[in-house]
Amino acid sequence: MEFSGTVSIDGTTTEEVWLALSDPVMIKQALPGCQFLVECEDEDPDFDALAASAPEEDPPTLPEASAEDIAERAFEEGGHYAALMEISVGSVSPSFETVVTIEEREFPRMHAAGEGSASSSSFEMSSGMELAESEDGVDVEWWAEADVFGRVAQMGQRVINPVANRVVGRFFDQVEKQLQDVSTDSESSGGLRSRVSSLF
Amino acid sequence: MATDEREGGSDRIETVEADDVDAADILGSAIERQEDPSLLTGEAEYTDDIQLPEMTHMAMLRSQYAHARLADIDTSEAEEMEGVVAVFTAEDLDVSGALPVGWDLDSLRNVDNPIMVEDRIRYQGDVLALVVAEERYQAHDALDAVDVEYERLEAVTDPSDALAEDAPVIHEEEGTNEAFDWDIGDADDTEAALEAADNVVELDVTNQLLIPNAIEPRAVVADYDPSDDLLDVQMTTQNPHVHRLLMAGVIDHPEHRMRVRAPDVGGGFGSKIHHYADEALVSWAAKQVERPVKWQATRTESYLTDAQGRGHETHGEIAVDDDGTIRGLYVDTKANLGAYLSTFSPSIPTYLYGTLLSGQYEIDNIYCEVTGAYTNVVPVDAYRGAGRPEASFIIERLVNRAADAVDMDPAEIRKKNFLDPDDFPYETPVAMEYDSGDYHKTLERAMEAVGYDEFRERQEQAREEGRYLGIGFSCYIEACGIAPSELVGELGAGAGLWESGLVRFTPSGTVRAMSGSSGHGQGHDTTFSQILANELGVDYDDIEVVEGDTDAIPQGMGTYGSRSAAVGGSALVESARKVVEKARKIAAHQLEADPEDVEFEAGEFQVAGAPDRSTSIQDVSLEAYLAHDIPDDMEPGLEATTFYDPSNFVFPFGTHVAVVEVDPDTGEVAFEDYVAVDDVGNQINPKIVEGQIHGGIAQGVGQALFEGAEYDDNGQLVTGSMQDYAVPKSFHVPEMETESTVTPSPENPLGVKGVGEAGTIAAPQAIVNAVVDALEPLGVDHIEMPLTNERVWRAAGGGDD
Repeated sequence: MEFSGTVSIDGTTTEEVWLALSDPVMIKQALPGCQFLVECEDEDPDFDALAASAPEEDPPTLPEASAEDIAERAFEEGGHYAALMEISVGSVSPSFETVVTIEEREFPRMHAAGEGSASSSSFEMSSGMELAESEDGVDVEWWAEADVFGRVAQMGQRVINPVANRVVGRFFDQVEKQLQDVSTDSESSGGLRSRVSSLF
Repeated sequence: MATDEREGGSDRIETVEADDVDAADILGSAIERQEDPSLLTGEAEYTDDIQLPEMTHMAMLRSQYAHARLADIDTSEAEEMEGVVAVFTAEDLDVSGALPVGWDLDSLRNVDNPIMVEDRIRYQGDVLALVVAEERYQAHDALDAVDVEYERLEAVTDPSDALAEDAPVIHEEEGTNEAFDWDIGDADDTEAALEAADNVVELDVTNQLLIPNAIEPRAVVADYDPSDDLLDVQMTTQNPHVHRLLMAGVIDHPEHRMRVRAPDVGGGFGSKIHHYADEALVSWAAKQVERPVKWQATRTESYLTDAQGRGHETHGEIAVDDDGTIRGLYVDTKANLGAYLSTFSPSIPTYLYGTLLSGQYEIDNIYCEVTGAYTNVVPVDAYRGAGRPEASFIIERLVNRAADAVDMDPAEIRKKNFLDPDDFPYETPVAMEYDSGDYHKTLERAMEAVGYDEFRERQEQAREEGRYLGIGFSCYIEACGIAPSELVGELGAGAGLWESGLVRFTPSGTVRAMSGSSGHGQGHDTTFSQILANELGVDYDDIEVVEGDTDAIPQGMGTYGSRSAAVGGSALVESARKVVEKARKIAAHQLEADPEDVEFEAGEFQVAGAPDRSTSIQDVSLEAYLAHDIPDDMEPGLEATTFYDPSNFVFPFGTHVAVVEVDPDTGEVAFEDYVAVDDVGNQINPKIVEGQIHGGIAQGVGQALFEGAEYDDNGQLVTGSMQDYAVPKSFHVPEMETESTVTPSPENPLGVKGVGEAGTIAAPQAIVNAVVDALEPLGVDHIEMPLTNERVWRAAGGGDD
């Protein structure tokens, strides 16, 4: 299955969006159904252990967090990340134990590949995004290629496509909302945007 | 063979109550189906309605992947869950557990077909583990707790792809996905005929995979009594005796200590013929837990496991001279068999397909090659029509193409090449001997009903107005009541294709009849009662027909291939006649007459020329059981059993015509008319015949316009529910005008042929021919089924820019 789209986020810069989308904590918060998202050592982590050690409260994200903190925990090219994703598809709500590898990460482009498995379903995906400046802000061009297996796949594209669109839609809505908070905040404090820019 | 015509066939047939029909007219009357009240009120008992004390429920874990290695499976968490009675994997199986295939071919690469997989997963329906629990939901919940580690492998779903050099091999020990290589007809003569002809027209078609969609998904309830080693299985089956025989071998249980019963069964269309892993596992599990076990497939589960139909990729070439004479036909088919061989799957794309390629035509040279391919889809086997729709589709599309090539009217080219009534019996170049037929008559009746000449004028006019009307013919032949047993044995069948029928009078003069046919919606209770009322002269209501119970019925081969009336009905006729002969002797003895002087009519024995010396067969029945005064050399009782083995297939035929209007801007296909003129031989109950034709056409409309099992590149079924697999709704099915001609079959005592599959065989190519005809001005010469709006729109040039 292939999905793609362009999301426009107004009143922000490519650097800010890049920074936000580099932050595993913010991604975790923006992804609907994401229980945790942490870096892991290899592609076969112990999810029970990760779930037990995941912090109960997320550290602050933008605008409270410092850009340096985010840069510190930002996704790294070649890094592996483990996430537990609960997604409702039709009548089932599988929890996907997901491992994502960042295959390419070079401003303004990111490319990741991953696999998720639940008791009755699984998926394999490859996805990417590229940021471009637009008149009003930033256009995020994204694409994903996914192979879906098992019970979820049997529900067919008529069920899966709306779910995928809903997940992606909510994700970018949330990112946009957080970035607007950042802009509002940086307008009042006047400092963040320049601090962000200085990181590039 | 003379042909009678039934008048007024185009009007809907009105049903009558049996009481209102004269005894002499019972055969051939549209008696109300006695089955319907219980089906309509919900009184009918389906497998899932059965409740037994201490009954458990079973669910099966199937594969996430269509092709994978099963690296590890851990059931420990599932075993601990509330309500779980037992969890089993292949490791626990202590029986042979390999599903047999009931048809052999010389080149067949038969492969192991295990009821639970230990190592290699070849399609999504493969069973990895099963859970028996107190409640159904507990069994299903526990499946989610089974931890499976897979190593996914590349999958292949199309037969041509599977036969390519670099395809992933599904059965590694075979080293190839080629399941068989079969041919029929003369290759050299056909090649020469194609070279010599004025024109050769080619066509490549995909006859898509279809999901059977019986209204009741498959289900099993098994109960094992360890004290006497009796295994009692109630299940959705079209052939309980065949299931008993096959399952006995799979789970190593003695056949004589097994009872298989079919409760009310909600349709099958072939999908309930085959022996699946599921019923073997339910029965085996019942023996393990020593409690009754029930399994009911969900709709998606049946989509993942019910043997699918069709699945052909075919290249056809037809040779036609400029005057329209068809000189030869060459057909090369790649047939999708799915992951394993299903019960009768090798026969479907071979003997039930290649042998029908002569259609209604005199074609001197035919050659057909079929390559069977293993793929990672659900095993493919008989589905309503089974091989014959695929044959009829390619012929009828090619004949239309041939007509285009020589600029001839599609009806005229058919008439020019039809076999004539005096050509019968006719032996085709593909090994069939047609018994009878009058193909001109059905085509002409259909042309008249549809107003053909007037239609062409209307079509011309409509085109000028920018509207696209089209007409499509389908002149089909089918072969059903497949027989005789000796012949099918020579062709590779692992079974005989006779049928048993037992007719038993009770002492009080009523009748219980047992048939090895096993109806599942066809109305056998009604039609068989009509047959027996006619033969025995007893009241229709005094007859009870019993089917679907291996304990009650001597033996049986079941209901499929439109065989029940021709073979099962004939067995009952023969038994009834044996009973009458015995009763005649008793009557003669009591009337003190020579049996040869005792006439039998309408249930009464009467000494010829002496009307006062008579007795009824029902009174004779009491005498037969009292046995106080019967002939000296005679055993008491009044019953007879027949194993009827027909001498040949029967050959229904007919013409279907679809008239459509196509909107090239939207791709929508609207029916303007649909005419079916079928000749299914003598009709036992015209209302049931009509219903079978209607239902068959509905399924043919489904294949033509809507249905198709779609798999993605990984072999995942993406049409896994009715949300994505489009079964036609009532508003999709056209109003139909049905008519009949009657050419009785000379092969059986009833003169019947078969009607169950006719509509499904005939309809698809009538519709495709009509749509292509409609879009001919736009240069359209073929569209693949299903003719979705998008495909039609694209074919008509939509999206070109």
